[in-house]
Amino acid sequence: MKPMLAHYKANLLELLRLPAYWIPSMVFPTMFFLFFAAPNANHPEAASLLLGSYLVFAVLGVVMFQFGVGIASDRASAWNIFERTLPLPPLAKLAAPILTALTFAAMAGAVLVIAAYLSTPARLEPGAWIRLIPALLAGAVPLALLGLCVGYLASPKAAVPVANLLYLPLSFAGGLWVPPQFLPEFVQHISPFTPTRQWGEAVWSAVNGTTWQAEPFIWLAGFTLLFGAIALWGYHRDQGQRFG
Amino acid sequence: MTRVAKVSPSRGASLSEVAALHQVSKRFGQTQALDRVSLSVERGELLALLGPNGAGKSTAIRLLSGLRRPDTGTVRLFGQNPQHASARVHLGVTPQETGLPDGLRVGEVVQLVRAHYPDPAGAGELLERFDLANLERRQCGGLSGGQRRRLAVALAFVGNPRLVILDEPTTGLDVEARRALWAAVKYYQTQGGTALLTTHYLEEAEALASRVVVINGGRIRAEGTVAEIKARVGLRQVRFQASAVPQIEGVSRLERNNGSFVLYTPNSDAVVRQLVEEQVNFSDLEVKAVSLEEAFVALTAE
Repeated sequence: MKPMLAHYKANLLELLRLPAYWIPSMVFPTMFFLFFAAPNANHPEAASLLLGSYLVFAVLGVVMFQFGVGIASDRASAWNIFERTLPLPPLAKLAAPILTALTFAAMAGAVLVIAAYLSTPARLEPGAWIRLIPALLAGAVPLALLGLCVGYLASPKAAVPVANLLYLPLSFAGGLWVPPQFLPEFVQHISPFTPTRQWGEAVWSAVNGTTWQAEPFIWLAGFTLLFGAIALWGYHRDQGQRFG
Repeated sequence: MTRVAKVSPSRGASLSEVAALHQVSKRFGQTQALDRVSLSVERGELLALLGPNGAGKSTAIRLLSGLRRPDTGTVRLFGQNPQHASARVHLGVTPQETGLPDGLRVGEVVQLVRAHYPDPAGAGELLERFDLANLERRQCGGLSGGQRRRLAVALAFVGNPRLVILDEPTTGLDVEARRALWAAVKYYQTQGGTALLTTHYLEEAEALASRVVVINGGRIRAEGTVAEIKARVGLRQVRFQASAVPQIEGVSRLERNNGSFVLYTPNSDAVVRQLVEEQVNFSDLEVKAVSLEEAFVALTAE
């Protein structure tokens, strides 16, 4: 526990001293919300749905960069080799970046909620808040695993562009920036097959108080298995190359 | 008089054995990095692994620190598999390549590493020992190359280890820093510590090691005290022009290219004396020290 918390603290300190990392992940979702969503969010229900979408966008950015770019640069670092010689079990090492990602996701979400409450009529019922957290986590898991796929399969230089190539189109096609019904027609056909759309569906039900359908959760579970298997393969491949 | 029966330790491991390779082989693609190597590090000793680049030194060290798995053979660290985290509680390592979290301060890095050990050294005392005390609040990204290396070596000592493994610890350090670091390693040994280090420098082995193992081409080529090894690989080069050279004692290797000769020898004085006594008609005589690398090439390129 103690070494894990020490790694968590070190991760936070390092990232907080890298404004180029945390400013975009804190500010981008809120900025996008204020530019693209707030002007059209005149009714409480529409505004709340958009808030839900941009919360997904915020969490997506944190997990893609934490696990994608973070792992890719770890793999190239000599410090990572030193860390491997410390008496720390590999699973304990994994816990620290998960806690770090949750922390940054919570901060990015908080900034966004404050901005949305101040600029739009978005308001969530207490029950919606309670359902929102598990809905956000349900999608965070498969997309963190997608981040791990990037982290283990891309070189450190390629990781940032690859993460962006996934993160931005997935956000758009998933209907996170503009609601799915306003997407261009051909994107509407692709949208249901993206993990971000299914994640959005789970979150939108939580936000507007409708019953959860099984479908988005089945999709998210499927993406968890798919990305999990690829990430595991990438992990073993990397471990074999560096530590086999 | 009763005779004391000699007790032989089980499984061939001596009681004072801290870490060991038993018949270990490791291959990377086409390269046989280690070929059935057995090596034991005994408590309290300072063992230097000597050899040219690509000899297999670093592979041996990575296996003992749990960074790699052997293809065949067994690796033991305090009687356990070094790949298990619990085996590494009494181990400190300085890898060959220095890597530090650039965004963290020196003091923060020491605290991070301290959190892994049950009985770590005091941070202030440790930084003092490695001449880093005034840098505690400096971010690692702002350290000089020498300071980074000193910190990387200091981190091996954070956990009050029983064994430290130092992979080319003084590479990139100036003479003064190198000597200060040697003093720190010696002090650690007087406190009962055991160390395994690799080096390119015979001088470094001379300053520190109680035993030397020479490794090349993935195999152990020689083993002994520094003096013994030095007699074998501490060569000098005697160069001159001459038409012919008679049989001369103490020459490890002779290279001849038209009229120029290169003689490798542990004792250049004796060789020159013989050249004079044998009335060899030499010119352009030159005597110079041979680096460890050149000595290995001379000794192994038969």
